[in-house]
Amino acid sequence: MQTAMPPAVEYLRPDPDGFRAYVRDHKQRALTPRVMDEHEAVAKFVADGDYLVYDCNYLQRGPASLIREIIRQQRRDLWIGAKFTYVALGLLIEAGCASRADVGFFGSRGPGFSRALRDGRLKLYEYSNAVMTLRLRAAAQGIGFIPTRSFGGTDGYLWSAARTIEDPFTGLPTVVLPALYPDVAIIHVHQADVYGNARVFGTGIAHIDTALASKKVILSAEEIVDTEELRRNPGLNHIPWFVVDAVVPAQYGAYPGSCQGVYASDPAHVAEVFGAMTQDKLGAYLEKWVYSVGSHEEMLERHVGVKKLLELRRRETVREGYTA
Amino acid sequence: MTPATSFNEREALVCQTARLIDDGKLYWVAGGGGPMYAVLLAQRMGYAPNAQYLTEDGVLAPQPLLPFDPIQTMVSARAGYRALQWGTMNTAQDYAALGLVDYGILNTLQVDQWGNINSTFLGEYPDAGRRFGGPGGADSIAAMCWRTILMTDQDRRKFVDRVDFISSPGFLDGSEGARERAGLPAGTGPWRVVTPWAMYDYDADRRLRLIGVSAWVTVDEVLAECEHKPQMAAEICVLEPPSEEELVVYRSELDVRGQTADAGAWIVYQDGRYVRAG
Repeated sequence: MQTAMPPAVEYLRPDPDGFRAYVRDHKQRALTPRVMDEHEAVAKFVADGDYLVYDCNYLQRGPASLIREIIRQQRRDLWIGAKFTYVALGLLIEAGCASRADVGFFGSRGPGFSRALRDGRLKLYEYSNAVMTLRLRAAAQGIGFIPTRSFGGTDGYLWSAARTIEDPFTGLPTVVLPALYPDVAIIHVHQADVYGNARVFGTGIAHIDTALASKKVILSAEEIVDTEELRRNPGLNHIPWFVVDAVVPAQYGAYPGSCQGVYASDPAHVAEVFGAMTQDKLGAYLEKWVYSVGSHEEMLERHVGVKKLLELRRRETVREGYTA
Repeated sequence: MTPATSFNEREALVCQTARLIDDGKLYWVAGGGGPMYAVLLAQRMGYAPNAQYLTEDGVLAPQPLLPFDPIQTMVSARAGYRALQWGTMNTAQDYAALGLVDYGILNTLQVDQWGNINSTFLGEYPDAGRRFGGPGGADSIAAMCWRTILMTDQDRRKFVDRVDFISSPGFLDGSEGARERAGLPAGTGPWRVVTPWAMYDYDADRRLRLIGVSAWVTVDEVLAECEHKPQMAAEICVLEPPSEEELVVYRSELDVRGQTADAGAWIVYQDGRYVRAG
């Protein structure tokens, strides 16, 4: 039941010409190496107040190591594109990194999350998963808005920035969504070369559109491959180098989630992070997995270990389709 | 088919939904769990050998390798095993927007007399109540598939006059053409609601209508678990209980860890009738 009237909803304003000018001046069209470690990439390309999107999520082939690095560097006031999300939003809230989120879906609950909402430290705006990926597709086309056949008639629509117009060609009432041009995107890929040409094997949420739509793009790559290898099958190269700002070598970068065809998820860790969320122990979770270590590699060494890492590889028994 | 004599209510829900599956049609299933099991069970029982499904991450017609690790129902090698296509969320919604997806199957928190679905908020939005995760993919499914099937529990807090928040659209305010006026594709909407106790459709005025109850409950017991009292079909049928054959396939090939049976109540056949055990 709703008693309040929907307010004029805050949204990230699309600025297609501003975006064009930005990428003209900032994106490297030359094939120049852009490999760096996670610390340098986040220090350079994630700023306080940025609108942040990740593809997939902390538990499903997402850029988990980069999310932890953003928390470690204590970015503030991030606005999160929270589509297809389980615990990532909860972690960013607990760490004090995020203050706003456009919601598609988040499976982040628990006392910490409720407190942030109640205390006004977190503002949520309502969308759906696919409405968020359409917003990214619009930006990937360089336009300001996009029509959709979904979302109309919902309360989410009322509490979002969506509008309804008459389609000038069919006369149909048509819901339109503002294009979403994030400040920064973090994406975990199976393979990238040193310039940022990248391959994702298997399904994704909107990795290509996300890479094209964002002002700054950090890839974490399971494997750095030779450019010569990418030239042998160009049809598999999904993300072009000139949209990528940083390539971070990150084996097990999706841990504790799986990276399809490479390693399985760690169910014990998945249970640990959900348990921490519902029992209000995310602080201890972050201390152990983020703050007590200086890097992703140190986390793997100290808290996961070779035995577990080998086991995760062994448990991923499906490999077909996940290599060139 | 041999009527089963001992099963869990949640198993019954999947079997009941499997019998609704239409052969040769394409389903968009909410990731993992009951909706996916219903299509797979219908395929393997021969009810709908050529029904196919897609998931929100763009997996098309997979032959999934069960069971999945927790949460790994999408963007995972086992869930996408032997698919005919790996796409993205935008490819999934494109197929639905084009009218190529016949049915969607969803789970939910709350449903109302017009089939509107809430998965966002219980209470007075935005401040006075409990926040949930939002529509996820359900809004796209409910908006753009031709027909939507809802799987849920029979609980009076779930069947309400008006949902607290419309996360995913049913017939909205119930008026004729409401969906089309809101910009949704013509001719789409809610079709069935299935619970462990009952089956509902929608009448000519787009209102939720009770059409069948399970053998272990009475119509009055079902209505006691409806805050909103549904319309009543002229004849309320008694739904066939799960069969032994369905349960063998379901338990040995699909929910092989028995996770469904962890949640619901147990039903047994005793002295010539079905009763809720313990």
